Amino acid sequence: MSRKNTSKNRNPQNVKREGDPIPWRYCLLTLGCGLILVGGFFFAARQHFSSIDYGIKNSQLKKQKDELETAQRQLLIDKEFALSPTSIKKVAKEYGFTEVAASIESLYTESKDTKVKPKTEKISDTKTVVKKSDVNTRKEEKKPENKTIVKTDSKTKKGV
Amino acid sequence: MLIVAFFVLWIGGIGARLVHLQINQHTELRGKALNQRRDTVKEKQLRGTIYDRDEHPLAMSLKVKSLVADPSEIENIEATSKQIAKILNVKTETILKPLKEGKERNKRFVYLARKLDDATVKNINERLETAELKKNDLPKYTGLHWREEQKRSYPHNSLAAQLIGFSNGEDVGSAGIEQSQETLLHGAVTKTWRDRDRYGRVYDEEEIEREEPKDVVLTISNSIQYKVEQALEKGVKAANAKSGIAIAMNPRTGEILAMANYPSFDPNRYTEFAVENYTNRAVQNMYAPGSVFKIIAFGGALNENLIKADGEINCGNGVIKMNGRDDIVDKHCHQTISYTDALAVSSNYATIKTAKLLGNENFFDYSQRFGFGKPTGIEVPAEARGTVRSPANADSLASMSIGYEVNVTALQTLSAYGTIANDGVRVTPRLIKEIRQDGKAISTTEAETTQVMSAETAKNLRRMLEKVVTGGTAKRAKLNGYTAGGKTGTAWKYNATLKKYDENKYISSFIGFAPAENPKIVIAVVLDEPQGGARDGGQVSAPIFREIAESVLPELGIKPDTNIKNETVADEDIPTETETTATKKTEKKSVETKKEPKKEEEKPSTQKTKESAAQKPKTETKNKSSGK
Repeated sequence: MSRKNTSKNRNPQNVKREGDPIPWRYCLLTLGCGLILVGGFFFAARQHFSSIDYGIKNSQLKKQKDELETAQRQLLIDKEFALSPTSIKKVAKEYGFTEVAASIESLYTESKDTKVKPKTEKISDTKTVVKKSDVNTRKEEKKPENKTIVKTDSKTKKGV
Repeated sequence: MLIVAFFVLWIGGIGARLVHLQINQHTELRGKALNQRRDTVKEKQLRGTIYDRDEHPLAMSLKVKSLVADPSEIENIEATSKQIAKILNVKTETILKPLKEGKERNKRFVYLARKLDDATVKNINERLETAELKKNDLPKYTGLHWREEQKRSYPHNSLAAQLIGFSNGEDVGSAGIEQSQETLLHGAVTKTWRDRDRYGRVYDEEEIEREEPKDVVLTISNSIQYKVEQALEKGVKAANAKSGIAIAMNPRTGEILAMANYPSFDPNRYTEFAVENYTNRAVQNMYAPGSVFKIIAFGGALNENLIKADGEINCGNGVIKMNGRDDIVDKHCHQTISYTDALAVSSNYATIKTAKLLGNENFFDYSQRFGFGKPTGIEVPAEARGTVRSPANADSLASMSIGYEVNVTALQTLSAYGTIANDGVRVTPRLIKEIRQDGKAISTTEAETTQVMSAETAKNLRRMLEKVVTGGTAKRAKLNGYTAGGKTGTAWKYNATLKKYDENKYISSFIGFAPAENPKIVIAVVLDEPQGGARDGGQVSAPIFREIAESVLPELGIKPDTNIKNETVADEDIPTETETTATKKTEKKSVETKKEPKKEEEKPSTQKTKESAAQKPKTETKNKSSGK
């Protein structure tokens, strides 16, 4: 049985002794790791704070978007209000435009008593009124028609 | 060694505490942390928009804010009330009273000011600032909070008010399309959590639940609706009628282009108007149609080949004997007359004879086929179904054929005339064109069709109805540049209290279409109780039809199909109801000469217009069937 004498093969440079200084490359490695760690922490912190910052900005933008959408809706409604025929009519009147005489009303005036046309008095650009005296004339002219009918007290029908 | 042991114990202690906090107290601490930085906000989304067919918004919601208070958080109610009242420019009592009551009853929610616009909110926020810092988007005043709400706006005011309806203070549809389409339009409540930093700034948020409300696009046209409303208003005022209805429809598609009611209301301030004005009379009110209903007898008989349009009917002396009822005397129908002329002059004799030829069952069947006696299915609430029953006997058939003992809505009559205009195919009237979500159409409505009569019959009936306009009771419906057809109707109103027809109250209507050969539009005009002297459908409703058709047809791009002429028709040229019918009670033998009932005092139309405009209708007499 042979016994190896390892001490002879040992490199004396590799042998650590108490009080020996730590090799500089270990120091560098530790320092590097430390720096990376600290840098990582800083980076994470920066990321965290910037994400909060972005979050705040994002929420502000959302709020702004909501406000703009509300404003847009308001403007749309205002536009519709302004473009509605009633508003246009009102504005047109303010600018001195007048309405064309209503054809239905003229039809009515021409209708019942076409022979005796009521005199009209223009009181404004758009309205006409019939003189009371003319109305009386019309009433007088419309004499009740004598008609032979059978007296009845029950419901009767008509239709046109 | 001791130092090492101390450090081990120290670090071990900290570790143990951390484990205890992280594991044993995890839930509690997490809750506390979230509470500190997180809000869960519930918001009601804006209600969907209602558009007309040309994309004009008819009803739209806006975000507004309401100022609310939690009285339990306010220490000095009097001082606070005084300050808030000053800012809101109201009396102190207005604020003090609810706050005091709230405090006494331990309420934690009291409204102080509702639905304020953005500018007012900013102003209040600035003036309510106190040193005590609250979250920066809330009022900086202890006990006060903003509550996000919405306000419904109707930019066209009273335009199509009864049709669109309105939503109440709680944003729930209460009438019209707003009510019928509530499930689509209502804004769902969304939940959002928001994380805040120590300054109250939101740095993270997420919506948990959200469903976009839907928008409704209607078939009505803003511009046509306005023209129809204007014509109706003028017509109602000129006839001094109690109220009026006008509807315009495309007979091919069933799309309602306009549905007008007069008097109307402004949905932006609906509380200021009489409740009666909210009623969409076009679909909710029933009335005896009178002669408008004569198309059932003529249409049915033509379709069954029982009569021909140019065929002749012998009227004899024009008297129809009725068993136990008033005899019907028709002055227009003497000796021989063609069916076309009989319809043109609205002959009751010819109609009753034709209905008898058609028979009870067939008459009832055609009434139903035309859509009477059942709701049309239009997308508005509370649609009346009308009353049409199988005629009990010959007298009943006679009454029904001339439009009594039946109740219809204006929309039903419009739909029936739309059938004639559309070559005998009845198309369900509809108001909704499409439903949208996020600006994209998610559903479109398809019209249901039913063949009621042959195309040939419809064509013949159209020609007969054209004669009504060219040489019958509806001469005032003659259009400039367009041919038109239609039928007038003048019926007495049924007085439910007296249980008989009221001879002084009329429903005067005209339902017509244009151009006569290839109709593009059907218009129904119904006036309730015209009192301006003229009262027949041909006198008061036909001119409204004319005005509507003449202004709408060019807008629809329909080219004139006849010479343009401007005719004025005098009353003498129009067969009136007194000439058309007379009545005789056979049971009573006493015959006497009697003056025609004196008409109500005649006033010039313009003068009446002023009076009627000043009056607000209070109640509407419900028109019921005779039920003899």
